Amino acid sequence: MEENVTAVAEESAAVDGSVAIAPAEEALPPVQQRRHINRAKLQDNIWGWIFCIPLIVGTVWFVYAALIMAILISFTGFSIGGMSTQTLMECLGNLGENIYKTTPIEFIDGRPVVGATYSDPFYWYKTIFTTFGTMPGAVDAAGNVYKMNAMGAHMFNTVFYMIGIPIGMVLSMFFAVCMSRDIKGGSVFRVLYYIPCVASSISIVYTFKILFNEAGVMNSLFGSEGLNWMGGELTWNSVMGTNVKNAFMDTQFWCQGLLQKCVIIIMSVWKGLGGTIILYVAGLSGVNAATKEAAQIDGASGWKIFWKVTMPDLYPVIFYNIVTSVIGGMQIYAEPVLLFGESTALDAISNTSGYVSLVWKYGIFPQGNSGKMPSAGAAYGMFLAVIIFVLTLFQFWLDSRKKD
Amino acid sequence: MDNEMIMTSEAEAPAVPVQEEKQYSSLRYAFGAVAAFFGFSTKTHRASKKRSKLVGDIVTYLVLLFGAFLMVYPFWWMLAGSFAYTLTGAGQAAVKSLIWWPNISTFNNNVSAFYNYTETFTNGMAGINNGGIDTTIAANMSYWRAVLNNLIYSIVPVVVGVITSASAAFSFAKIQWIGRNVVFFFLLAAVMVPGPAIMSTQYAMYTDLNMIDNWSVMVVPGLFGSIMTAFFIRQFLFGMPTSIIEAAKIDGAGYFRIFCGFVLPLAMPAIMAQGLLSFMGCWNNYMASYIFIASNSEWINLPHAMYLMNLKYEDNNLGPVIASSVLCVLPVLILFGCFQKLIIGSLMLTGSKE
Repeated sequence: MEENVTAVAEESAAVDGSVAIAPAEEALPPVQQRRHINRAKLQDNIWGWIFCIPLIVGTVWFVYAALIMAILISFTGFSIGGMSTQTLMECLGNLGENIYKTTPIEFIDGRPVVGATYSDPFYWYKTIFTTFGTMPGAVDAAGNVYKMNAMGAHMFNTVFYMIGIPIGMVLSMFFAVCMSRDIKGGSVFRVLYYIPCVASSISIVYTFKILFNEAGVMNSLFGSEGLNWMGGELTWNSVMGTNVKNAFMDTQFWCQGLLQKCVIIIMSVWKGLGGTIILYVAGLSGVNAATKEAAQIDGASGWKIFWKVTMPDLYPVIFYNIVTSVIGGMQIYAEPVLLFGESTALDAISNTSGYVSLVWKYGIFPQGNSGKMPSAGAAYGMFLAVIIFVLTLFQFWLDSRKKD
Repeated sequence: MDNEMIMTSEAEAPAVPVQEEKQYSSLRYAFGAVAAFFGFSTKTHRASKKRSKLVGDIVTYLVLLFGAFLMVYPFWWMLAGSFAYTLTGAGQAAVKSLIWWPNISTFNNNVSAFYNYTETFTNGMAGINNGGIDTTIAANMSYWRAVLNNLIYSIVPVVVGVITSASAAFSFAKIQWIGRNVVFFFLLAAVMVPGPAIMSTQYAMYTDLNMIDNWSVMVVPGLFGSIMTAFFIRQFLFGMPTSIIEAAKIDGAGYFRIFCGFVLPLAMPAIMAQGLLSFMGCWNNYMASYIFIASNSEWINLPHAMYLMNLKYEDNNLGPVIASSVLCVLPVLILFGCFQKLIIGSLMLTGSKE
């Protein structure tokens, strides 16, 4: 084929032979011919870049550039329409001057005096862990108020919603095994189970909002009078019917809206089931039938075949599912906010929002008139990125340990 | 279901040797006969393989039908609720306890049967005010404008983006250029950056570029294609014979010609499936519009408009909100119904590749 190309290319005059990309051949071909081979490779190189340049530009611009800017501005006090009047580019241009300035209130070993500003690059990173937006807390008998940092409370919610992941994994495995039995109409069920995945989540949220209200289907199903799924706080005392003022068990942030959070879990399991089922059905159809049959002839029970033959073959699919659902679960945002509204830090009756809503709450829709502060949002976002990265690494570490 | 599997395989196993007839009580025999009828083998009766398969199938069907009912019921509820007449307080209360069909429906209240839908179309978006925060919609904003916006946001970036992704996939799979694997993994690594982590910075970036609060913020980022789409099409192209491309090259076709004339038509199933999936994603994309477009802009998309409609109607007239939910789900469901084989097939292919 190479010869053919060169034969074709021989007709057209070679203009430049100054391409140093092709490896020189040892057989010392005539100079004329080598130039033509290079020309074909040059074409490959030029067109290769041309075809993927839009994707490269898009990814570099909207992901990598944004990531670098996010890291940089998380050290600054950049805001839109607030304290700083400069644009993002101006802020990044004078990064040194725009490092977060703060006014120290007290002396620290001879360091900045009162009234003087000094720069603190890690201001946001300190703030999000400490004072930014404390959640309302319980008051114990002695009158102590237990407050929870907003980040801890929101992260608790995110982790709580991840209870749905193992539930969904087991359920979808069960349905996938049912579907991959030798029955007619298995593909119809696959389609039906996938419908919630394609439906708009806002429509589903508004439907679930009414399904789960006090007079709704869920309550009439359980025959309970006014189980308040959608609202209200639920403290440990109200669950247990006791009156023990245990500060830990009755601290609001983690008792807040347990039923509300269960609605979110039910909804996300329901919505995510179909996609996982399809992956499992695909995985189950790839399980080695011969091994299965051999095990059957050897007298292994169905349960044993499932655990010893099917599961090891399915392991890659399961691992992929766990990794993607943990990454997706860490980013939960729209469902709780649409169902229960954005819980603002200070006046929340029950805090149900996931961690991501902090990025918006302090990054783009902050309270007060400090403007929009993408720098604070970026700091929250970087923390999230680090957590997701560490979790993923941890899962891959577990995976590699299993193989040994 | 698993129980049956255990039983059948035990029945086949030669572990039960033919011994002298052991006497069991007649009650035990009766139990064994009943169990055998339902496909379970016991010591007294051995169920036939056919029977146990039949019973297993029936149980599987029941389980799957129950699950399918759970999957479909909320959509039925949505459809039924969109015919509830909720303009009165009694109707509003009735829709909250709706199970199969509304007690107070638009069919028996001297309004047209599609009252909720016409209400959505005519003044669903009129006069929305969220009590203070800047969610007042421009008065001339109509529901159809939101639908039009949503169509623009989900057709233009998807069509262009899938083609740019396919061209990148073609370059990575079929053109031999130096460093292509390095570039590919450089791009693939971008998948690890979680979207919400950088979105507030993207907000600042788009503000700099004057893209906030208009169409461009929803359209422009999509035009450059998505790396996951490129990844899947690349996987598909690896299965395509290279000889076609080489033959075309020998006949003097340029790469552009090869891409348009051979790669696009041949990879059409993968391109269509990815395009449909990203169309559905864009159609349902509530978050981007909510973050990047102010609620009083006329460039909000349909889910965002529904959010505002819910604020307006929640306490006094739920019907139009449910009707607009149906309208938001319907196009996607119709599309999914038409192309379910393609979409599910593509998902299963990617699933088995992992």
